[in-house]
Amino acid sequence: MATLSNNDIAHAIYLVSKDKTHAELHEVNSKVMKFLVRRRLLSKSRDILDRLDKIINHESEKIVVKVLNARKLKEESKKELTFFLKERYKVKKVVLLEILDEKLLGGVRLEIDDEIIDLTVKNKIKKLQEYLIRKI
Amino acid sequence: MSTNYIVENLKKEIDNFSSQIKAEKIGHVLEVFDGIAKVSGLSDIKSSEMVTFPNGESGVALNLEEDTVGVIILDDFSKIREGDEVKITGKILEVPISDNIIGRVVNALGVEIDGKGVIKTDKTYPIEKIAPGVITRLSVDKPVVTGIKVIDAIIPIGRGQRELIIGDRQTGKTAIAVDTILNQKGQNMICVYVSIGQKDSKLRKIQTRLEKDGAMAYTVIVSAGASEPAPLLYIAPYTGVSIAEYFMDQGKDVLIIYDDLSKHAIAYREISLLLRRPPGREAFPGDVFYLHSRLLERACRKNQEYGGGSITALPIVETQSGDVTAYIPTNVISITDGQIFLETDLFYKGIRPAVNVGLSVSRVGATAQIKAMKKVAGTLKLDLAQYRELEAFSQFGSDLDNATKQQLERGKRAVEVLKQPQYSPMAIERQVAVLYALVKGYMDDIPVDKIKEFEEGLINYTENKTKKFYKEIMETNMWTDAGEVELKKAIEEFKSGYQR
Repeated sequence: MATLSNNDIAHAIYLVSKDKTHAELHEVNSKVMKFLVRRRLLSKSRDILDRLDKIINHESEKIVVKVLNARKLKEESKKELTFFLKERYKVKKVVLLEILDEKLLGGVRLEIDDEIIDLTVKNKIKKLQEYLIRKI
Repeated sequence: MSTNYIVENLKKEIDNFSSQIKAEKIGHVLEVFDGIAKVSGLSDIKSSEMVTFPNGESGVALNLEEDTVGVIILDDFSKIREGDEVKITGKILEVPISDNIIGRVVNALGVEIDGKGVIKTDKTYPIEKIAPGVITRLSVDKPVVTGIKVIDAIIPIGRGQRELIIGDRQTGKTAIAVDTILNQKGQNMICVYVSIGQKDSKLRKIQTRLEKDGAMAYTVIVSAGASEPAPLLYIAPYTGVSIAEYFMDQGKDVLIIYDDLSKHAIAYREISLLLRRPPGREAFPGDVFYLHSRLLERACRKNQEYGGGSITALPIVETQSGDVTAYIPTNVISITDGQIFLETDLFYKGIRPAVNVGLSVSRVGATAQIKAMKKVAGTLKLDLAQYRELEAFSQFGSDLDNATKQQLERGKRAVEVLKQPQYSPMAIERQVAVLYALVKGYMDDIPVDKIKEFEEGLINYTENKTKKFYKEIMETNMWTDAGEVELKKAIEEFKSGYQR
């Protein structure tokens, strides 16, 4: 018997929950819970939920972007950033999760799933360091 | 050096620095153990692609699973922690290379370890490459002269051939390989010695010997010592063959020695088991045959249209109690174009190199053997096989007819002639002269214990007296009737003087 991956389960949950009414969803949820208990998968529920989240975002053409920066972003910059990300990832909705980190010194770092765009001063200094100590 | 100079230099370097802005794929370390890391993310990674860890350690993606990537770590993994960020480099593992690498000792990543300074390189070669196709190849027809009589006469090796050296521990496998390197002086050959899982003291000894005899001038040593992690042992032979390919692409002939592939297979088994790949026979993974076949298939002789270079491979495999039917020996025997089988019994009988002539074979080398050697060594293998058979008979001490006695006596002398001490390879023309004297019966009445002395004297004498014969062999690979007459005369003269 082929093993079920967390991704398969998340996908199945998405498909059975899609376009359901509130009452139907309640029933689906209880069946999902029973399934997880029966297959002893409760310990993996966090990972399954994360994957479900990603599937829902993907289907609804939405991305969640972690924005790490040293200082709070201005509203204007946020708008520009949202526009840029919508264009780049061809999505309808962009959710920005702003995280402040003074160690970045300046600039901004964007994390979208497993892709990063690092425009921080800290990263630039690190790259300069690598360049200066390279073996010639 | 003034402070101003340093500051100015630094300013110049900073001016030259430019960093590109690009989106990078990252992952996070889930677990690290025994040189292996399981990494999440890295969605676009390719198989065998390089990744980097936060402290500069590099790794190679080997297992691409649905949720995770299995990475082998090529540096010290003690500083890598769970949750560390892993970045894709977009490069397949490659080795930096240039002509300056000759005479140096490098590790499995191509970085110098001999303390002679950084090797300036201008190119990189991928360590995994598809072997040259049929169209680019040429059949083997040029010899590799090992300088070892028994090999050059009975198991000849050609340029582009893969000849396995197999035997138990302490039977002289590495000695044959090192002697072959020593004999390549002036033969227009670059040598690459890949040491896999060997003791550093053994490697140092080999390096010292090569330096002493001036062989490092055309040799590169790739070392992945016994103390290094399994991933480095796994990639070392591929690094070696990439270095060899660099020189082959310049139209040069290269000799590569893998010492040894048993330890390489063991390192790969370790990695595979840690990556939870299913074990098969002797717990080796299912693709252990492919591991060696794709490596040895890269040895070839290219035709003139494609540069005309060659890679001759001498892989070494260590057997346990002479068992050639174990998994790795049978695999490598079937991949290579022949094997030199070394035996413990022969070694302790004093027959060194301890080559078992009956079990050793060279499938393609005969076409590469020079004419002169073919002529003198033509019946030698058969003579030796018959001698071994008759030797068993003669143990009973029964009366033997004259022909049998003569065959036994000739066999004893042949065995004696084929003995050769370590680090003393012999030039091919000298070998031809000695074997000529043997097969034509000039040594039949020399006592067996005097054969070595006779041989040495004969070489010295004929070298001075038969300049024509030696010159003919060096230039045309064969003697003329006049040359043969000259040699015969010289042998007879020397013999009459020796017996007096």
